[in-house]
Amino acid sequence: MTTTAAPGGEGVSATTTSARPHHEGLAARRALRNARIRGAVFLAIGVYAFYLASSAFSTPASFLFRFFNTGQERFEIATSVGLLWLVSGLASALVGGLQLWRGAAFRWRPWLFVVIAPIVVAVFGALLDGTTANFTNVLRGSLELATPLTLGAMAGILSERSGMLNIALNGKMLVGACVSVIVGSVVLRFTGNVIVSTTIAIAAAMAVSGVLGLLLAWLGIRYKVDQIIAGTVINIGALGITNFLFLRVLGRNPEFNTPPTVAAMQLPILSDLPVVGPILFSLRPYVYIALVMMVVLTYFIYRTRWGLRLRASGEKPAAAGTVGINVIRIRYQALLLAGLICGLAGSYLPLATAGSFQMDMVAGKGFIALAAMIFGAWHPIGAFGAALVFGFADSAQALLSVLGVAVPPQLLNSVPYVITIVVVAGVVGRVRGPASAGQPYEQG
Amino acid sequence: MRLELRGITKRFPGVIANRDINLVVEPGEIHALLGENGAGKTTLMNVLFGLYKPDEGEILIDGKSVSFHDPGDAIAAGIGMVHQHFMLVPVFTVTENVMLGVESVRGPLGQQLDRPAARRRIIEISEAHNLRVDPDARVEDLPVGVRQRVEIIKTLYRRSDLLVLDEPTSVLTPQEDEELFEIMRSLKASGTSIVFITHKLNEAMGIADRITVLRAGRVIGTTTPEEASLEKLAEMMVGRRVSLVVEKKPAKPGATVLEVDDLVVRDDRGHVTVDGLDLQVRAGEIVAIAGVQGNGQTELVEAITGLRQPVGGTIRIQGKPVRHAPRAVLEAGVAHVPEDRLEDGCVPAFTIAENLVLNTYYRKPFANGPQLDRDAIEREATRLVQDFDIRTPSAFNPVSNLSGGNQQKVIVAREFSRPVHLLVAAQPTRGLDVGSIEYIHRRIVGKRDEGAAVLVVSTELDEVFALADRLAVMYQGKIVDVLDPAQATTQQVGLLMGGSRPVGIVEAEAAGGLTHVVTSGG
Repeated sequence: MTTTAAPGGEGVSATTTSARPHHEGLAARRALRNARIRGAVFLAIGVYAFYLASSAFSTPASFLFRFFNTGQERFEIATSVGLLWLVSGLASALVGGLQLWRGAAFRWRPWLFVVIAPIVVAVFGALLDGTTANFTNVLRGSLELATPLTLGAMAGILSERSGMLNIALNGKMLVGACVSVIVGSVVLRFTGNVIVSTTIAIAAAMAVSGVLGLLLAWLGIRYKVDQIIAGTVINIGALGITNFLFLRVLGRNPEFNTPPTVAAMQLPILSDLPVVGPILFSLRPYVYIALVMMVVLTYFIYRTRWGLRLRASGEKPAAAGTVGINVIRIRYQALLLAGLICGLAGSYLPLATAGSFQMDMVAGKGFIALAAMIFGAWHPIGAFGAALVFGFADSAQALLSVLGVAVPPQLLNSVPYVITIVVVAGVVGRVRGPASAGQPYEQG
Repeated sequence: MRLELRGITKRFPGVIANRDINLVVEPGEIHALLGENGAGKTTLMNVLFGLYKPDEGEILIDGKSVSFHDPGDAIAAGIGMVHQHFMLVPVFTVTENVMLGVESVRGPLGQQLDRPAARRRIIEISEAHNLRVDPDARVEDLPVGVRQRVEIIKTLYRRSDLLVLDEPTSVLTPQEDEELFEIMRSLKASGTSIVFITHKLNEAMGIADRITVLRAGRVIGTTTPEEASLEKLAEMMVGRRVSLVVEKKPAKPGATVLEVDDLVVRDDRGHVTVDGLDLQVRAGEIVAIAGVQGNGQTELVEAITGLRQPVGGTIRIQGKPVRHAPRAVLEAGVAHVPEDRLEDGCVPAFTIAENLVLNTYYRKPFANGPQLDRDAIEREATRLVQDFDIRTPSAFNPVSNLSGGNQQKVIVAREFSRPVHLLVAAQPTRGLDVGSIEYIHRRIVGKRDEGAAVLVVSTELDEVFALADRLAVMYQGKIVDVLDPAQATTQQVGLLMGGSRPVGIVEAEAAGGLTHVVTSGG
């Protein structure tokens, strides 16, 4: 680790300065330097948190949790902002100390959570400035808001693992949202059955988005159109068509814009658990579908034959092709699946939250989903974690604006996007994606 | 397996890559397919492997006619191919790479990978043929020699009876070559037929049972090592008598032109690849650096030519430290023939004329202030096209339309046509035919005789021995030794390239009175 060699250990090389083992020396020294910088940054954050704590003990911070879904029983964690900062400072200092002590061998990424989580709570408390906040709602909101992002990220992972860049997530979600509203409204009018109309609405959204996925694949594979450009074309096209439909069709015929809505689902027994019941087990079915999909995709990508071939296609398609794997078919399959998932994600927005279609209602969520995919290192579980971070930022922001905190709402609204930039710029360390994503494959 | 190709013809727009090719590979035979780059060897094997469809002719396996639509068909028929550029997924483990395409599966859906089963078979195969490899290692962490073993295991895992090795030695050290030949002999003993594609005469002579020579898409003849000689094979390959040695007078070294001291350079991934390197090149001598690819040669050349910022050490040209900017280096009188001619050597979409002034366009006589002087450029281009024998209809064709040899001549013409103190040539003849190699070697020696200091970097030992006045061996970012090519043997250099220091080499150096670079232990 350190650069001092044991005396007498290597007599020969000690006498010839030019033959020092730079190779290991430089790399190790650089790692050590980085480790020290990181440790110092953590310590500095800790000290600053202590400083913030010193003036904030008088500000109360109280977080409210509901016990059950029904009834008014609730409990409150009452503390002070100063105490929260103190905890943050201690956590930071602890991790900083560990980092300095363990040096370059310290695996710091998991510890990042220990540093960030209390800071986020403290910032939240400081922004609330004494107002009582309903934390149950914030956490529920995080999961709900993370859902379309998670689904979008799963679609992105499938495409990029197969070697196709999928910048068109946003457009596909938008079209999915629009189709689900129109189909859902029509079917609801004719049948009057909420469950049937919702199912058909979602299926239609998935089908149309799936076709768009195939269109992207066809442009990128058959005509070797640059995948970024093809994706951008689909995004712009989706925006244009849905805007047209909204202004010319939905606007004049509101009966086409009254889809069925998806309500929260109380999971039997689990939803009656105190505290966690309301947070985790009484959410919309979309959330559970997203979680199941995360598990299933993880299994399929890493444990099955299809997954191995999918990853080979995205990493080195020529290697897959020369052992007789049909790379092109895999890419079409992956983009079709990705399209279907995008349709599902798109239908969430009108059916689960807004209750109707609005212009550009996806509002860049497809791109944030891509950021979640990168943040999560192209792994379904990582991407879900990343989507949760964005979901929390969104949810906390929503609460703060409702409570009328003395921060401009525009600034709060921008928080998820700022986090996206910071994440994509690689602050959390460089991660490596599929090596051949975006490159057309020549068969034969 | 007995393989027979009958009358194979494969046309591409404008060229006939294979013309009426007949070839028989007997069971348990090592059959060398010898030919220059562009002779059609790889096309033929791609036809055999189902990657291309032949326009005419048929493939017979054990007497039965077969037709392959994709590599899957060829693999199913028992044909295994080790491509020149390895077809391995770097982030996969050895097991995953080997099983890809023929995965063992289990589970209720019949979809779940059965890694342990695959792993067991890999260990069986590797023990049976002495192909040492760790089935759980990631391929990107393995040295090239081991990656090649993985490729061979891949074909055996698919129960191939016929193995095609496409230029397998181009990435290996001479010692690894020997290991590969051992493996080939062991496979042959177990009844596997092997097609061994190469352009190296002595390899074909050393290992093959029969040798078929291809030239310009045709079979010139089939012979055996007993009947053939190196000279005869070379003549069959090129179509005329070729001199296999470079004619040159003894060097008359002058003052030191290039002085590299304790140089440290990192590659794109941040790894230190040039590691405390010392080197001097004097006017009027050729120093050739031998080494296996990936031992820091690329980064060394980039540092000298200003394309890469070193991390430590100094580079002096004619006593002055260089500024690390390509134009500053160029103006200091350095010519550079880069390793990758299409990537760094020229702009393929530009015309020959434009490429010929790529490093002088901004100066008189080619520029008048901000404006290019088309006439001056045209005159210069016409002159160089003639002087350097660039085969092209005109100087205004894009470089991308030229053959590899002529593209290299454009670069050589540009770099050699101005007065320089130092010439840095990296892999100057990679992928060229014997005729072009002869020409470029003569030009390099000519530059030396004009008084320039010349640094040649090459992974081809033949080239290094042919050109060098002093022969430096690079291993893991250092010059491990500097030898006199007249005294050194291929074996000696090969061992040094592989990182071991043969005994007795110190005496050889003392006798030769050579400049000596201190190396650490071993």
